[in-house]
Amino acid sequence: MLRFALLPALLLLTVPAACRQPTPAAQAAEPHFPTLTGRVVDQADLLSPQVEARLAAQSEAVEREIGPQYVIVTVSSLHGLAIEDYGVKLGRRWGIGSKARNDGLLLIVAPHENVARIEVGYGLEKRVTDAFAARVMREKMVPRFKAGDFPGGIEAGSAELVRRLRSKQTDREIAVEDRMVI
Amino acid sequence: MTRTRLNALLLVPAAAISLSGCGINSIPTAEENAKARWADVQNQYQRRADLIPNLVETVKGYAAQEKSTLTAVTEARAKATSIQVSANDLTDPAKVQQFEQAQGQLSQSLGRLLVSVEAYPDLKSNQNFLALQSQLEGTENRITVARGDYNNAVQSYNTQIRTFPAVIGAKVFYGSKPMTPFQATSPNAEKAPTVSFGNSAG
Repeated sequence: MLRFALLPALLLLTVPAACRQPTPAAQAAEPHFPTLTGRVVDQADLLSPQVEARLAAQSEAVEREIGPQYVIVTVSSLHGLAIEDYGVKLGRRWGIGSKARNDGLLLIVAPHENVARIEVGYGLEKRVTDAFAARVMREKMVPRFKAGDFPGGIEAGSAELVRRLRSKQTDREIAVEDRMVI
Repeated sequence: MTRTRLNALLLVPAAAISLSGCGINSIPTAEENAKARWADVQNQYQRRADLIPNLVETVKGYAAQEKSTLTAVTEARAKATSIQVSANDLTDPAKVQQFEQAQGQLSQSLGRLLVSVEAYPDLKSNQNFLALQSQLEGTENRITVARGDYNNAVQSYNTQIRTFPAVIGAKVFYGSKPMTPFQATSPNAEKAPTVSFGNSAG
């Protein structure tokens, strides 16, 4: 009798435990990312404390006054990943920006792989467009990086990005300025 | 006697409650999620298709000699946009592979066009071209991300409908069939060129 009574209870206990979702294999393959310690994560040690402080203050003011979260990261290794892949994974891991607005902006500089990237949350794509990000990279950052001036490139690029985040232009005006195909 | 029957009756709600944690509710959720990720994939491929006529027009003005490359892109685009896969077709591997193949061919002809452009410095410094190129690169990246998210969603759904005890719900209630993931982790042609600032290739 007791055995029968136990059976439903046992089912209740064991079955839910058996149906925990399997973890996707993709998550296991993630590299070791730097820890999000602040608005400027200088793992590759490219920035002086003064530059770091200026960048952090700029990012803090933008978030406080308008909302988007801007984080700058220099990485000592991409662990063999393409920077596009690394950038998306890091952005998702860190969860930059508000989850509802998806308004995170990430500047990644990988000096050992000679690459850099601006990663834009979906919610900011109409402000920091592909064309704008590419132009900032091409005109403000790459020439300075090529000359070995990492702090100068990061500050010049950040100034442009922040100016755009603060822009009063409508999405439409931005699209026209950036020559975006709508 | 009555107590045994009572116990047997208790088994039914107990099984229902415990199965509801896995399968009865989560299978439709996983299925909807995979279908939503498929919609993202299609949107990004559509965005790419929308950008291509602009690219072809811009390149034409500077590099008329690349006529055959441009024609190949236009034709591959027409082929790719003619193949649409609805969310309900995702259980048909042939349809998904056909879609993937057509988009892959478009990626390759687009890749060849962007390589040929290297020979035209005036075009490469044209602001319209640069803006278009960055949008295409951005779209290629979004395609890669959308494909990866779709594959993860499909993998999760397919695993669920095959794993005990959800497999019971999958078979009995939904008649669930596995969905088709993308085969290739995007071919090289689809990889957007990286902004490199050194002497070594980035």
